Amino acid sequence: MTHHDLGHRDFEALEQAFREALIGRGVLTDADVNERAELMYSRTPALGARVVARAWFDPAFKARLLADGSAAVRELGIEVGSLRLVVVADEEKVHNLIVCTLCSCYPRMLLGIPPDWYKSIAYRSRAVREPRSVLVEFGLTLPDDVAVRVHDSTADMRYLVLPLRPAGTDELDEAACAALVSRDAMIGVALPRAPG
Amino acid sequence: MTHDVGGEPSDEAIPRTQHPFMPWELRVDALMWLLTDPARPGGPRMTVDELRRGIESLPADDYRELGYYEKWLLSMIAILAERGIVDPEALAGRAEAIAHERDHAHP
Amino acid sequence: MSPRFAPGDRVRVAEREVAGHVRTPLYIRGKPGVIERICGAFRNPEQLAYGEWDGPAVPLYRVRFQLGDVWPSAEATRDTLDVEIYEHWLSSEPFEHRLESKPA
Repeated sequence: MTHHDLGHRDFEALEQAFREALIGRGVLTDADVNERAELMYSRTPALGARVVARAWFDPAFKARLLADGSAAVRELGIEVGSLRLVVVADEEKVHNLIVCTLCSCYPRMLLGIPPDWYKSIAYRSRAVREPRSVLVEFGLTLPDDVAVRVHDSTADMRYLVLPLRPAGTDELDEAACAALVSRDAMIGVALPRAPG
Repeated sequence: MTHDVGGEPSDEAIPRTQHPFMPWELRVDALMWLLTDPARPGGPRMTVDELRRGIESLPADDYRELGYYEKWLLSMIAILAERGIVDPEALAGRAEAIAHERDHAHP
Repeated sequence: MSPRFAPGDRVRVAEREVAGHVRTPLYIRGKPGVIERICGAFRNPEQLAYGEWDGPAVPLYRVRFQLGDVWPSAEATRDTLDVEIYEHWLSSEPFEHRLESKPA
């Protein structure tokens, strides 16, 4: 049985037929599907940004976050299910970049659904081979003395970049700092915004 | 293999447009989580690994050209067909009927 | 199953060819790296992808590679690549092998 045997390319209709068949067999209900879809839709990068900002303000939390990402995130009341989170910290001379070359693994329970570009063959093929040129394409040029550390999410772990806290944020509170942290900064293709 | 693309020579610029998610795509996403969740009544019906295997088994053209959730949906159907949980031919027939009703509905 | 390798151990990824679902990317096969951490033990995706859901858990490692060891033409020599690799894809890489491969 090949996929072509389906002979039908109306995916919206196919999804409905598939879902109805599963409901008919008692595997799930429409309510289950709606609940789950709403849950995923409610997961946005703002959750990850909260984690980053807390790490900026609380060095002990940062240490726990780097040791066991999922446990630390749960401290903030964020339920992440079976996520095995590895948080990788940027340093003055180290910049982290996340990719999944084999598919599109991503910390979805923390950041939501990944962007289309993260799933693209161009990103997946180039990020592990020419990370600096990928970063330049996103508008980020790193000095030569900063090492790029690429992480290919090939198995059970999922990754979050902990960027460096931008300069000029000493007067900002934690929430204001979180607002500077974009999804792209937590993947590593951007830096957090500067304040003001 | 078509999906194992790390380091493949590529001059391609990374496409930056983001398509808005269609409701059916979010439902496909939800179905995958429900089907693979070990905590559900009756246990999981498939694994994420099987989903990946199904996607990786698509013809190369389909792998490169189909949308993300289109591939998920085709894979889930193929994997559950292996288990006898769904019948792809019946699904195709039902999908055609659904599309027909939708396209000929009177406002 | 207790892990065979510890952080800091030099390892090499197997050059193996495997048909079917596998999570060791082609580009990293045969390359030398260093164990960065033990991630834990997880069931083998090569089995999970084919309905074998009750197999043993296998130690999973993050292995750090120098970009220049993975791509001969890599320009920046201090860049690295961390990849999650299951234990059955790794073998011990004696220190002497790295000495032999270095130019005099």
